[in-house]
Amino acid sequence: MNLFQIISEIEKVDPEIMDRLTHRRSALSALGDITRKMALAAAPIAIGSAFNKAVGQQTLANANDILNYALLLEYLEEDFYAQALAAPTLAANLTTGSAARGAIQTIKNHETAHVNLLKAALGTSANPRPASFNFGTAFSNYPTFLTFAQAFEDTGVRAYKGQATNIPRTLNPTVGGNVVNLLTVALQIHSVEARHASHIRYMRRATAAGGIQQFGWITNAEGNGAPAPVYAAGNPAATFPAEGNLSQGGLTLTSVGGNTYTAAEVSEAFDEGLDNTTVVNIARSVVTF
Amino acid sequence: MHDNSFLARTLHRRSFFRVAGAGAAASALVLAGCAKDDTPNPGTFTQQLVIATKDSLDNNILNYAYLLEQLEAAFYDKVVATPPADLLPGELAYLTDLRDHELIHREYLKYALGTNVYDNSFVTPLTFDFSSLTLTTRAGVWAAAQLLENIGVAAYNGAGKHLTAPFLKLLGKIASVEARHATLVQELVQPGSWATGIGTTGLDAAKTPLEVVALIQPFIPVPISTDFLPTT
Repeated sequence: MNLFQIISEIEKVDPEIMDRLTHRRSALSALGDITRKMALAAAPIAIGSAFNKAVGQQTLANANDILNYALLLEYLEEDFYAQALAAPTLAANLTTGSAARGAIQTIKNHETAHVNLLKAALGTSANPRPASFNFGTAFSNYPTFLTFAQAFEDTGVRAYKGQATNIPRTLNPTVGGNVVNLLTVALQIHSVEARHASHIRYMRRATAAGGIQQFGWITNAEGNGAPAPVYAAGNPAATFPAEGNLSQGGLTLTSVGGNTYTAAEVSEAFDEGLDNTTVVNIARSVVTF
Repeated sequence: MHDNSFLARTLHRRSFFRVAGAGAAASALVLAGCAKDDTPNPGTFTQQLVIATKDSLDNNILNYAYLLEQLEAAFYDKVVATPPADLLPGELAYLTDLRDHELIHREYLKYALGTNVYDNSFVTPLTFDFSSLTLTTRAGVWAAAQLLENIGVAAYNGAGKHLTAPFLKLLGKIASVEARHATLVQELVQPGSWATGIGTTGLDAAKTPLEVVALIQPFIPVPISTDFLPTT
């Protein structure tokens, strides 16, 4: 079967292809079983579809695709915080009545509200919640949990920002009985994710046993323990530069208006967007769903 | 907010403009004859700050953003130059970072607007009026910062839909940084209050340019013209 020859060829170029795409492995195996029984004429379509999902840039063709992509991220975040609040390994840090538990509960509530809002906007087009999210070692201890949280929130900010220009500016659906501008709602979620990210960063800074020396904003492309791709360039890099980007609209901002600024300051002053394929790859790299 | 009498006065100013032939100063700080009691009185003049023109909605929104960044930068500049005595350890570093971010935002928007920047022909830059704020105490400074940062977030959330893609992309990069600022500042004002204002909807505020203009008017020594600013 040529399909497996193709995969073999890809693996020569990209040895990690199957590791990065573990979740696709069963799908590809199933595809193999099916294609053995299928007419050859139909096979290229099925194969093309599988590869489009597996290794190509995923295309969000319309507003519903964008909303379902956002919904997946919100499902993930909501489940992440729900699991954290229930994790025995975090109970000593997220004690009832503590500021930390209050903050995590608040963030979880916001993510639940986002899920509900997006589901209402999508109606019958809403994708179902994945059966489960496995966050691996994320809840093994409090600092690790906060590091994961920072990664998800900073990624969330980049994800919404990356889609802002793809949402039609004139789409005004009725959601929950109210006429809303879809782009405005997306921006309102976007800034809430940024608030979450800022506060999680502050919590990491304030951790009793030697906090991370970082602020609520992203300095250069430093993750301070969060996966590097969260702060790296997306695809294409010219459209989605890394968080350490110093140039906006062709102007390098370390020298502007008669003043000079450090690379740290300039990178902090602007957040950068990410494409959906890179975002989903980041999620898949730390979460099984 | 603007009642009918205000709108009537605005119209009056504009008609005076045409008569006076001063309409060419469309994107500058201009003089407009208008008596306080709406009675023409050549002896009394008030100034108006004009940031928007009929020509380009993108430029109008970018100028609006530029004014907001000017305001924030001027605020932090003043505070960092004369910090309150009771700042806690580390807080001056926060304020300095915040100032630098706003300065970079301001200078970038000025660059992006080029000759379309509203104060292009100003002899001296607009001077902001912070007399309504208490900047001699830590509490006063952080409360003021909270006000300004949250205005910025709500302004950008509300204005995004008026921008074409390249400028929406740009403002999105700044908006989330303002939200990061606002969150820190709220926590410094009152520990545990970082999320106050988001509410059960999980959504941040979004305000129209006219709502925002009303909120920042106390810091600007002349009335801001709302002509050509979007009403939604």
